[in-house]
Order: sequence, then structure tokens, then C-alpha cells
Amino acid sequence: MISRQTASIRKSAAFLGEKTFRLAMVMCLVCAMSFVLVQNSPVDPVRAYIGADANQIGTEQRTLIAERWGLDRPPAERFIRWAGQIVRGNLGTSMIFNEPVASVIGKRFIVSLGLMAAAWVLSGILGFALGIISGVWHRRAVSKIIDLYCFVLASAPVFWIAIILLVFFSVMLQWTPVSGSTPPGIPAGEITLAQRLHHMLLPCASLSVISIAGVALHTKKKTVEIMQSDYILYARARGESAFGIVLRHVLRNSLLPAISLHFSSLNEIFGGSVLVEQVFGYPGLGKATVDAGIRGDVPLLLGITIFTTIFIFFGNAAADYLYTVIDPRMRHMEKINEY
Amino acid sequence: MLKRFISMLILSFILLCGCGPAQTIKPGDLVLAIGGESAEGYDPTMGWGRYGHPLFHSTLLKLDENLNTINDLAVSHTVSNGGLVWTVRIRDNVLFSNGDPLTADDVAYTYNTAAQSGGKADLAMLKEAAAVGPNRIRFTLKYPYIGFIGKLRTLGIVPANIHRTGRNYARNPVGSGPYKFVSWTEGQQLIVEANPYYYGMKPSIKRMIFLFMDEDTSFAAAKAGRVHVVALPPILGKQKIPGMTVHPVRSVDNRGIMFPCVPDTGKKTPEGYSIGNNVTSDIAIRKAINYTVDRRLLAATVLEGFGEPAWGIVDNLPWDEPSIRIKDNDPATARKILKDGGWVDTDGDGIVEKNGTRAEFTLLYYSNDSVRQNLSLACADMGKKIGIKINVAGKSSDEILRLNHSCAVLYGYGSHSPEEMYNLFHGKFAGIEQLNAGFYRNPTVDRYLDKAMSSSTVEESNRYWKLAQWDGKTGMSVRGDAAWAWLVNLTHVYFISDTLDVGASMIEPHGHGWPITANIEKWRFTK
Repeated sequence: MISRQTASIRKSAAFLGEKTFRLAMVMCLVCAMSFVLVQNSPVDPVRAYIGADANQIGTEQRTLIAERWGLDRPPAERFIRWAGQIVRGNLGTSMIFNEPVASVIGKRFIVSLGLMAAAWVLSGILGFALGIISGVWHRRAVSKIIDLYCFVLASAPVFWIAIILLVFFSVMLQWTPVSGSTPPGIPAGEITLAQRLHHMLLPCASLSVISIAGVALHTKKKTVEIMQSDYILYARARGESAFGIVLRHVLRNSLLPAISLHFSSLNEIFGGSVLVEQVFGYPGLGKATVDAGIRGDVPLLLGITIFTTIFIFFGNAAADYLYTVIDPRMRHMEKINEY
Repeated sequence: MLKRFISMLILSFILLCGCGPAQTIKPGDLVLAIGGESAEGYDPTMGWGRYGHPLFHSTLLKLDENLNTINDLAVSHTVSNGGLVWTVRIRDNVLFSNGDPLTADDVAYTYNTAAQSGGKADLAMLKEAAAVGPNRIRFTLKYPYIGFIGKLRTLGIVPANIHRTGRNYARNPVGSGPYKFVSWTEGQQLIVEANPYYYGMKPSIKRMIFLFMDEDTSFAAAKAGRVHVVALPPILGKQKIPGMTVHPVRSVDNRGIMFPCVPDTGKKTPEGYSIGNNVTSDIAIRKAINYTVDRRLLAATVLEGFGEPAWGIVDNLPWDEPSIRIKDNDPATARKILKDGGWVDTDGDGIVEKNGTRAEFTLLYYSNDSVRQNLSLACADMGKKIGIKINVAGKSSDEILRLNHSCAVLYGYGSHSPEEMYNLFHGKFAGIEQLNAGFYRNPTVDRYLDKAMSSSTVEESNRYWKLAQWDGKTGMSVRGDAAWAWLVNLTHVYFISDTLDVGASMIEPHGHGWPITANIEKWRFTK
């Protein structure tokens, strides 16, 4: 008994150790690559910062701005200094927001987190349910309708869907707000949860569209496979109802591909949030990313890249871990291999 | 079961919407959608307030509706020692919005900090600001620079004791302006209230909400009746918005064609970009284009009537030389100029040549700006009529910076300070990014510009600014070297609620939106 416990602890430690090592490797690569990419970007940070004032800011002032940011030093030195600060946990100061990168990301991420989490959960549940229905009643009308719906969603760009929703619900029906994550005229402290949800409704709906189709179609394929298997035939022979079959046999078996797919679609939700936040003027991390990119805010852009990497890495690691929880075969794989 | 649940859900959301935005704005509040958010915060020492009104802050001097410089915090100012020393006396008993007194030390601190901060407030000419008494400040400049008066008009004063702590002043600004900061939801809205300690005219509007949205969303919000003031692009100027009236404001927000003024001799800038253009370096080409374009037509068509002809970079400002205006839309004169300059169509292809060089050049515009694109295309058409082939191409701003010493570019400028004219036409800025991109150089013009900049009074400097444009023999304008072909000044389009009176708006600089707030303390509701 004790030995089994220590074995399981050892296994968890090994899992964690391996993941941490991988994360460190990924981080090193991502940092170096993004620095090189940003370095070679045609956007000149000083010019991007000055923007429309180009002709009212003289050459002396430009030099002063470049000095403040350390742009007068060679790239290799800049990278080493920056990496040294990163290791110590200092992400630097955003050029366009003029405040620490960590606090910009913190503020923006809180706004995005609710939106992304809601969209992710919603699309997971909806996609999975649609996939099961379409798989179980394969070749029926309901399956065809769901397929059509999924294909349309999969091929429609998310910003386009966002604009359609905006025009219909916000402008024509005026049910939902036109833009932003909070209602106008209320100081930040006095905004209620209902108001926040109300503002999140449309962005969330548009964002969830991204991964519904993927999850639904994959789940459907798996479900169709399962429905043709021997054990389903046996279950039917035993006289089990369709509902019982779905509940006892289909759900568990088709959950695995859905989960792995849905966790790996975390990055799509991140990517999609950039577009959706732009359309709805939703001031989250996605919008900050666009601003940082267009206006050459290197510290912020790199900070967001690192943050996103960690986030998605943990998403994938969570999926790996969940496999073993859901599927006993995975848990016992090692034991089987030992024999 | 599921159906009932979903319909319950929808119903509850609709109910939530019912108590949504409509009631959050109290009667008497003013809601504006005119852009103007400063992403880096509201710290004047980093550059906040370069356009229009710093709102939370007051400045030493300011512009009135007719663009005359008048006192704000200052009661008097003198310039001595050949323009090197500026002494300003400020009002007594001015309080910041937190109740602390504003002293000469705060002013000196603000200027010294701004000079060293490396932000967008360019005070490179300032050596030192020092308080010489409770309400007198002495500014010592590194070199005589009349443009410093523009800094006195735009740099808002911050309280030294608060700003010095560095506790995120930009996100909690305190100043002595007509309004005080209440809250800012980044990317969305800014709420301000009247400052009870303001020394000037008490604003009639007590609370304002600035919404930050893009143009399409602003238009939707205006149509839905949710804003009182909205800035819109000219293309939407003909729209009808219930309860609102269009409010066009004249501007020096100009658009014009910058020509490379030197021939291509194979020389390159230190960055490796080509210099010069063999067609546009010929003055006959530049003059002919200036004479043939129909500026009134451009304003009427491309700008939907929301614009007027432009003749220089400072039209209708106190330092504008009125005699630079010519009769345009005149292809006959343009053809004569070309012929006299040696440009003749010898091979009958409709394009003129000179010594084997075809009158053909590339005109670039920012590809994301449809107004500039349409202006460029229209000019290409007008050039064709007199035998000049203009190839139009849209590029990103970074690409244009690599090409702007060898290709003509459709640029837009316009400022309340003549400094811009100095930076754009002085020979010493030749080839520095987009300052004097075309390598324009005229020793007489340079001399006038230097004299203007080193003048001790605004009146004297204005005389030289005008001479630099046209002194009767030479100048940068179309009568002289025709270094640019200025085309149009935009008319900025605002829609104002019928219940609001915004008074007379001043001629606005480049940058549409925030400048309308210049006289915001005089705005009032009429109903």
C-alpha cells in the first residue's frame, strides 16, 4: 500500500519534472525567437511612439527617447539585459502605456479571462453536445443540419460573424451594447456583475464560434465509430435505449478526443480574442497585443508572448493530465508496458 | 425542459438589458465620442495635452478663438537677452484640484521634468527653468527659439510634490485646469468633473464622459442617441442623425504632395535609401502640377465638400503669407510653364519629355488612408491632362520612410505652431526621416526661417515666417520654389446634439477630435 503511494507520488513528480523542463526549454526558444523577430520588424519604436507628431518633435528629442529606452545600445546587449531582467521576474515597462508590463498584462488579462473562459466552456459544451447528437443520429436530418451549421461556422471568419452579430443585436435590435466591457458613465468601482455580463454577451458568442465546429465534427466522427462497434451492437441486443447507450458508452469514449482537441484550441481562443476584442472595442489582452505590435512596443509584445506561452503550455499539460483521469487505460499503460 | 431553460435565460438577459446603459448617464452629463485617449496616461511632462486642451491642467499661455496668444496662468511674460531668457509671472492664489497652492516651483519642476523625461513633450531647447520668487519663473534656453511660446501654450503644470513621488501620476492626474479627473477605464471611457478650485470661468457643464470607440462604433452610438458630441470622417458628414446637427470646423489639417527637390545622382542616405528624383527636381514640373490641379474640385468630390483649397502648410494662421495664393485649375498656364522649362512631347505619346527624360514619377500615399488614396488618384488624372504621368502607389508608413527621398509622397500636416514649417523646410533637416524628406534647400529661405526662430517677439517672427513663404522674389511656396503642391485643408466634421451650444470653434490642427475641446469651459446645454 505504502509502496503504491510512493510510486504514485514519484510518478507525479516525474510528470511535473518533465513538464517543467519542457516549459523551460520552450520559454528559452520563444524568448530568443521573438526577440529576433521583433528586432527585424520594420516598425521603428521611436517613430511609432511619436506617431502623428512626427514633425513637431525634433532630432534631439528623438535621441532622448531612444536613450530612455536603451535603443542606442547594440541588440545583443539589449537581449542579455532584457533576459537577465526576465529571469529576475521583471518584464520591463511598456512604451505605449508607460507602466510596468506585468501590470498592463494583469489588468488586461482580467478583462480577457472572463471572456475567454466563458467562450471556451460554452463552445466546449455546445460543440460536444452537437457532436454527440449528430453522431448518434448519423444520416438523419438533424445530423445534416448540424453538419451544415458546423461547416458554415468553420469557414466563416470570426470578425465577420462578430460584425454580423453587432449589426443585428446592437444596432438593429439594440439589445446589447455597441462596444466596450463596461457601460458608459459609471466609475469602474460601481459596475455590477449583470452589466459586465451584458457587455460580454456578444463578444463571447462570437468567440465561442471558433471552436464549436472543430469539437463538434471530431466528436461526431468518434461517435459514429463507436456506434458501429461491437459493444454497442451488444448493448442494443440487450435492449438498451438510445439514451442509455449515449450515457453509458458513447460519452466516456468520445470525451477523450474532444478534450484533447478543446485544450489545444486554447491558442485559437487567444488568437480569436485579438479579432473579437478589436471589433467590440473590448479592452482586453488581445487589443493590447494589436496595439503593441502596430506601435512597436517591444517589452509589452514580448511580455504578452511569454505570458501566452505559459498559459497555453499549462492548457496542454492539463489536457495530458486529464487523459489519465478520464481513461483508465492511460493510467495503467506503464503497468501494461512493464509486463 | 431544455427549451424552457433557454428561453428563461434569454428572457433574463433581456430584462438585464432593460436596466442597462440608458440610466447610467445622469441628466446634465455630457457624453462625447471624439477619441483622444492617451494610452500612456495624462502626464503633461510625457506629452499629454499637445493638442487642444489638457483639460485637467492649465497652461501658462493659451490661444483664443482667433488664434491670438493670451495669458492663462501667466499674467505677463518677457523675453530678454536675445531671446535666450524668458521670464513669466504667474497668477497668485491658484489652487490645484486637490486644494494645494500652485507656485513658481511647480512650474519650474514641470518644465525641467518634461525636458528630461524623453516623452513627447519636446523641450530640447530648454536649458533650465528656475523659480525666482513665489510667482516668477525664469526659463533659460540653449539657443534663441521663438517656438518656445508654443510650449508655454501646451505644457500643463503638474503639482511637484505629487508628481515627484512617481506614484503613477499619469493614471491619477491632478492639475489646475477647469476639470478634474474622476476615473478612467482604459480603452473605454474617461470621466471628469468640474474642478471647484478652478480660477477661470466656471464651466457650465459639471460632468463629462469621454467614450473611446472607433468611427463606426461612434456613428452607431450617435444614431442610437447615446452621445452629445461625435467626431466623424467627412464621408459620413452628409448623414442625418436624429437630434443632432452637423458642426463643420475649419482646420489647417492639410494634405499636399511633397516633391523630392534634388536630382538623382546615385547618392544614398546613410541608411542606404536613394536620394533624388530627376523629374520632380525640375521646378517646371512642380509648378505645372501646382497650377493644373483643381483644389476646389478635390474638396468638393474627395472630401464631400468638407474641405477647402490649401496653399501652404499654415493657411489662415497669423503667420500665413496671403499672397501665395494662385489661380489654379489652369492647364494653359501649366502647359506654358512646362514648355518654357523645356518639357515637350516629342514622340506623341501624350507625355512630355526633356533631354530624353519622360515626365513620369511615382506618388506614394499611406495605404490605409482612403482620403489620401483618392486625392492621389485625382491628382494623377489632373497631371495627365498636361502630359505628366503620375504613377500612384499605396505603401505602409515604414516603406514610405525608405522611399520618400526619391518619390513624391502625399502627406498631411498642420499645427498651431510654426515650428512645423521650420522642421519641414529648413535645409538642415534634409533627409531626416520625414522632416525635410525632399532635400529642399534654399539659403534665403533658411535665413528667414533662422531669423524667425531666433526672434524675440511673436510679431517679429511672424514677419519672417511670411517672408520664408514668399518675399517677392523667392520662397518655399508655389510662387517661389514650389517645394510642395498643397492641395486641401480638411474641414473636421462633428455632430453636436441640438441641446448643446459649443460656441465658436477655432481653426483646428492636424488631428481630428480632441481639438474641439479647446473652448470646452464655454460649452453649455440650451435645453
